[in-house]
Amino acid sequence: MHPAETWIFRILVLGFVAAFAAQLLTRARLFLRARNNIIIGDDETGARLWRVVREVVFQSRVIAERPAVGIAHTAVFWGFTAFGFYTAVEFLAGLGIVDWTPAGWFSVYAYALVPFALAVVAGMTALMIRRVFVRPAGLGDTLSIESVVIGFFIITLMATFLLAFALDSGLAERINWWVHALVILCFLVLIPGSKHFHLVISPVTVYLRSRDLGSVPNLDFDKEEVGLETLRDVERKQVLDAFTCVECGRCQVNCPANATGKLLNPKTLILQNEQALLSGKLDIKLSDLYDPNVLWQCTTCGACENQCPVGVEHLPLIIGARRGLVSNGEAPAALSAVYNHLERRGNIWGLGYDQRQKFVQSAGLEIFDQTKHEYLVWLGCAGAFEADFQKSLRSLFQILRLRGISFGVLAKERCTGDVAKRTGNEYQFQELARANIEDLTAAGVKKILTSCPHCLRTIGVDYRAFGFEVEVVHSSVLVASITRDVSVPVAETVTFHDPCYLGRYAGHVDEPRELLTRFGAAVSEPERHGDNPFCCGAGGGLLFEEKEEGKRISQQRLEQLQVTGAGTLVTACPFCSIMLKSAQASSNDGTQIVDLMTFVEGKLKQMPSRP
Amino acid sequence: MILVIAEQQGGTLNRASLEVVAAAQQAGGSVKVAVLGAEVAAVAQALSAAEVAEVLQVQSPVLDTYTLDGFVAALAQIVEAEQPDVVFLPHTYQTRDCAPALAVRLNRALVTDCVGTKSQDGRLLFVRPMFQGRLYADVAPTGPALATFQIGAVRADSMKTGTAPAPIRVVMAGMAAGDIRQKPEAPFREAKQAVDLTQAERIVSVGRGIKGEEKIALAQQLAEAMGAELGASRPICDAGWLPMDRQIGSSGQTVAPKVYVALGISGAIQHMVGMKGSRTIVAINKDPEAPIFEIADYGVVGDLFEIVPEMIKELQG
Repeated sequence: MHPAETWIFRILVLGFVAAFAAQLLTRARLFLRARNNIIIGDDETGARLWRVVREVVFQSRVIAERPAVGIAHTAVFWGFTAFGFYTAVEFLAGLGIVDWTPAGWFSVYAYALVPFALAVVAGMTALMIRRVFVRPAGLGDTLSIESVVIGFFIITLMATFLLAFALDSGLAERINWWVHALVILCFLVLIPGSKHFHLVISPVTVYLRSRDLGSVPNLDFDKEEVGLETLRDVERKQVLDAFTCVECGRCQVNCPANATGKLLNPKTLILQNEQALLSGKLDIKLSDLYDPNVLWQCTTCGACENQCPVGVEHLPLIIGARRGLVSNGEAPAALSAVYNHLERRGNIWGLGYDQRQKFVQSAGLEIFDQTKHEYLVWLGCAGAFEADFQKSLRSLFQILRLRGISFGVLAKERCTGDVAKRTGNEYQFQELARANIEDLTAAGVKKILTSCPHCLRTIGVDYRAFGFEVEVVHSSVLVASITRDVSVPVAETVTFHDPCYLGRYAGHVDEPRELLTRFGAAVSEPERHGDNPFCCGAGGGLLFEEKEEGKRISQQRLEQLQVTGAGTLVTACPFCSIMLKSAQASSNDGTQIVDLMTFVEGKLKQMPSRP
Repeated sequence: MILVIAEQQGGTLNRASLEVVAAAQQAGGSVKVAVLGAEVAAVAQALSAAEVAEVLQVQSPVLDTYTLDGFVAALAQIVEAEQPDVVFLPHTYQTRDCAPALAVRLNRALVTDCVGTKSQDGRLLFVRPMFQGRLYADVAPTGPALATFQIGAVRADSMKTGTAPAPIRVVMAGMAAGDIRQKPEAPFREAKQAVDLTQAERIVSVGRGIKGEEKIALAQQLAEAMGAELGASRPICDAGWLPMDRQIGSSGQTVAPKVYVALGISGAIQHMVGMKGSRTIVAINKDPEAPIFEIADYGVVGDLFEIVPEMIKELQG
């Protein structure tokens, strides 16, 4: 290398690194000025590092959703990682610091990189064809020129690397070297401002993602926290989320609101944050920053967050912004009525508790006594008042009695606060939670059984923030564990609608299916099932939504379930059941919709009783 | 003497005012009605049809739009001049805003949200619901009082009209613009629903049992015969058989009419929460197990296509 070349290279590197650092600094400032919401439990470090190994090193989420694209991306990722040291050695040599390039081990390393280079070229070509010609919806309507440029950069890097083997030292070799080095430098300055910033911070955002899906930490009213009103209130993890977003659109294509013609697009929210943060519009109200009404179109199904390969958390942002609106009295009118019901009657329907009492009596339920009962059965707002769900609870009680499980109920319950929590009425949620926890603690409850996935989540996960940690189990899980001896030959085909709060949030995907198979059903799976179901449309307070934009989510889901051709549709959540039955009533469909417990008990009744 | 404060906006009389005139007539004794505004001659004219002793047309440019200071000052002047035994007001948002301040200004008791009056030993008692309507209290205020009446508690069509129009007296309220501290902005208006079922006294509501869009006409006929509004459960509106603004339930309007006729409605909870407050519920459904019968006052298990035509015949006959 000519000394002049070295000097030119030094100056260029200095300039480009400075341009990179300046951009990094802008983002670091935005991060540092935001409120710190990053809390990591002492015992979580190991689990989080293991998550980084799975999801970053082995790209598990990238592959899970889209295997072909994921493998192409993994090839590029691994290739790049393998090239890291090569680039470092070449740069050290170019800067005249130390030259290891003539070393024997370096040429062995370089030859070992050849298959990686080929993998990167193959992967990148596949991804470019997808982006430019296939144009999947998740990548947006307009072609990202920047991504295409970077794609060519990457292919050029590999081509120049491979070409170097064929070129002797001479002008051609120097030109090849300079092209390679300049492309790297240009790439470097493009990184922070583009989706490629994920190369730098996605391992961090994956590490920082909350342990539980949809975690929205409690507000501290003593510190006068009211939720997210303006962009200034957006917290540190959310700032990182805005910059780490890789714009892959997994959140968008999995969003039930987006799929039914609503304006909500989880990806757009994150990108709007990024843009507004960078342009310094910190005082903009979040509800003005986003498209109108999108904050109230989210069912909190969690599909966006659960699919995100770079650890973006959409729910704390959406629910945080809802909190900001609710604390300013800007909740939709339909929700004001629900809040009023919760305030006055302690349940979402606004009905009197004498009705619950009637059910408790007619179902022959005992009031929980810790000396007599193993489980406290939590009825919930649906169990206390909704006729259909009460039928399924009677089935559950029957199963428990047949299997000799002792249980009782509380004399009085309030709503767990699920709707209040998910719609951003944090104060009401905390009031309800504290009152319930007080009753549950006073009754000496150790194990709670519920048939409602929303109660399962709220008591089982959200109540932990109040120091309330007891075993909370969904009926499908308990009943699966106490009926292992049963085996009924297949008699019918059913389809199962996984409730989001059971399949996706709690991960109970196998137990309901075990039960169905055990009790004589062949399960015909619909599109979107297991841990990535398509929502029924009820979550996040949308059960009470007055007018749904676009197509009804419940209608879309019912159609997906009908395609399976199964005559019986089984679900395991009172709200899914309400939504699907409602959709069915509008469509003259003859499918039978039953709760899992009713299905199981129906079969159990027909069997000879256990000795 | 009872002084009724009628409410108007932009020259349109609030219907609840007539209900309160009727309530005052039923309470007995002489009744006067006052209406406030910048230019309310037409409204006063309309009110003079009622059987009342006098209509006071209270005018001032500062009363053009509602302000707390303006209305409290004007109402206080009238009450002090007329010295009524009791003042009746409709329990509207405007009343809710100004009545407490007015009561303090006049040092009078205020009984809110009344549903009627009673007479006992020559004293006027005010009936108002307590504990979310589970109990009714008879309130006997000491001294001259103000009372507000729940909307819909007394039927406006029970108001007696006079044989001749009542005399109208124009009163100029003495106030200066500087006395008013509030600066009202343009009235906030909720997304206007074409049909306001919440104000309906009678509702005929249809559910899936109606089977076909063409059968809605039958329910419509019954509604017309009863003088009722037509409502529906969600599936009917989802199917587009009736517009969304007729939907009743948790994702629709919450109604509390005097009579609610549910035709072919099973009574899913999300519908029930929107109509459970109805005074009398009549349910017609084929399925004797339908949850609607749990809350119905009158239940008919049978085919609505046989029953409804008979009802129409009876009502028209």
